[in-house]
Amino acid sequence: MPTLIDLLTRLSFLAAMPAVAGILITAGLLVVSRGWRLNVIALTLQYFFVVLLLTRLIQPEVAIVKGLIGWMICIVFYLTERRASALGQSSAVEGTGPSQRWRRWIMSARASFCLLAGILVLVAAYTAALRIPLPEVSTDVTLACYLLAGLGLLLVGLSEAPMQVGLGLLTFLSGFDLFYAALEPSLAVAGLLGAVSFLIALATAQLRVAQVTAGGEGKTL
Amino acid sequence: MIAGPLLLLIVPLVMAGVVYILLRWASLSALLSVGTALALGIAVVTLPLDQPVPVYFWGERQIVMGEAVTFLGRELVLGQADRVAMAFLFLTAAGLFFLAWRVAPRSLIFPMGLGLLSLLSGALLIRPLVYSALLVEIAAALSVFALQAEGQPATRGGIRYLTFTTLALPGVLVTHWLLERYVLTPDETGLLNMAAVLLAISFALLLGIVPFHTWVPAVAGDSVPLAGTFVLTVGNGAVWFLLLDFLETYPWLSTHPHFGSLFSTAGLAMVVVGGLLAPAQRRLGPLMGYGALVDSGGALIALGMHSRLGLTLVLLSLVVRPFGLALMATGLSGLRARNGDDDSFDALRGLGWKAPWSTAALIFGGLSVAGLPVSAGFIWRWPLCRALAPSSPGLALLLLLAGGGVMTGVWRGLSALLVRSRPPEGDRFPRVTSEGWLTAAVVAVVILGCVGIGLLPQVLAPLAAHLAETYTFFAP
Repeated sequence: MPTLIDLLTRLSFLAAMPAVAGILITAGLLVVSRGWRLNVIALTLQYFFVVLLLTRLIQPEVAIVKGLIGWMICIVFYLTERRASALGQSSAVEGTGPSQRWRRWIMSARASFCLLAGILVLVAAYTAALRIPLPEVSTDVTLACYLLAGLGLLLVGLSEAPMQVGLGLLTFLSGFDLFYAALEPSLAVAGLLGAVSFLIALATAQLRVAQVTAGGEGKTL
Repeated sequence: MIAGPLLLLIVPLVMAGVVYILLRWASLSALLSVGTALALGIAVVTLPLDQPVPVYFWGERQIVMGEAVTFLGRELVLGQADRVAMAFLFLTAAGLFFLAWRVAPRSLIFPMGLGLLSLLSGALLIRPLVYSALLVEIAAALSVFALQAEGQPATRGGIRYLTFTTLALPGVLVTHWLLERYVLTPDETGLLNMAAVLLAISFALLLGIVPFHTWVPAVAGDSVPLAGTFVLTVGNGAVWFLLLDFLETYPWLSTHPHFGSLFSTAGLAMVVVGGLLAPAQRRLGPLMGYGALVDSGGALIALGMHSRLGLTLVLLSLVVRPFGLALMATGLSGLRARNGDDDSFDALRGLGWKAPWSTAALIFGGLSVAGLPVSAGFIWRWPLCRALAPSSPGLALLLLLAGGGVMTGVWRGLSALLVRSRPPEGDRFPRVTSEGWLTAAVVAVVILGCVGIGLLPQVLAPLAAHLAETYTFFAP
């Protein structure tokens, strides 16, 4: 049975621009979408692409551990949102009539705005990757770092809902981690950054549960 | 042999677990928290750094507070300056736990506060300083649990605090790498400039300097008040001491040509924004936040003076800030508890007569945060104004006006609290309050402490002056 490292080695052909494209699509989905299932899947895939790029910078074992932390975070988010939707369903009236069903497939004004803002971040990240290259990393990794950081910041700025902010912070941190892993390959730093990410996820989950149990889906103090 | 730094890290962490288990017994968990923080605070101050001290109840073991210890491959050292910083963190936390015993029993502030003490101690003791940023970030994430009130909507303060702390992380970490590279290539002075810029942005985010200040009023207004105060005093205090550690470790930072103007401008911006927005608030929580903003701004202006006196005033401000904010938070907790967690002026009308001790705590706390006479805050704000007056009279005047702005906000709150509502039949006002004599006694002790320090500044001022001498970056 192949190990995770074997699998990563087989997929190493993706660890360049395809991974950057994957990061762009998944982070873009996080910015545009408000569906929690899609967001959790996008975050899971995003961590996969980040791990692929990390294998070029650090030992594959360490990259996999970082990936595992990311996927554990996705599990935390999945369980939290499952609980949140269960709590929400018990209090809210089922509201998916025919008129709302077809609206799901039409892009809302908010999603259009987010998409446009995401495209602007993409252009800014591309320009920055060409003009201000990050030290110790290649151009494609630089672009991935800028994309993750930029789209993460955009997510944080677009909403005050705990889950969106949490996803934004984790995306931002993934971008920084990708860059910093090349500068400081220390295991202690890798472990502490992993702990930071996991605690951010737990804090976000706690706030999300508070948000739902207090009775308002989008209500924040 | 037990190394002191390890003790400061492990004991609060273990006690955090114990307190969490015992949380349902409100007084026991609170008093255990107070006892732990107080004992460690006193131990840090009284035990000698370089001599072993036998522990009578622990076999033949001895404690050496100053012994360096390696933890996860990194060195933990308790120096003379860190010692006072540690004492500040632990004793402030003990005071806040003491107040929380009466106004926020069974809240997560006790276990999380002890956990935060362990992390923040680690942040101040660990070398190299790059790891401090990571520990501060972990502490910020943990503090969200304490800031979130049970049964309330998600706290905006917690999420904003976490956001700004996370955004500050990359700057500090990359600075470390830049400085390591500078050691190898001393000709590249651009590395130093880049490091200075990154550090400035990171600390601006961590200290809530305008325009990164939005988390400060949010933490004060939208979370458990005493947990918010914990973040604004203990957490913020740790960041201040970290900044001083950076200035001490990298002397070129304090000799940077823009050092004074940068700190003065940042402080002025905080003072102006806080002073203008505080009187415009219609809720007590954000008012406290803007008061804290003015207080921090004043401290930044003091640091911008680039002198030993300025540093002494910064340290004095850190020592007395908890009195004002803790009293305000206590008053706020008491008033919110009697008003369905609503602290808007309209909702508080007439409540002062039913909760006189909470009202008194709020007023005396407000006096101290505003830096007015007969309060702890006055003992550093007035000397700062006097020191600024000859060279920058405008700055001194703005600082005084900002204090007036905060007091105006408090006055508006007091006016709402003391509105005489229509008396119930038979009795004009309730003669017995629902606050309880124990709460009244605790509040009275802290008010007396705040006023006492305001009347007798000679108690704390020499301590701050002595502490300032342990830092050498402003030495002539």
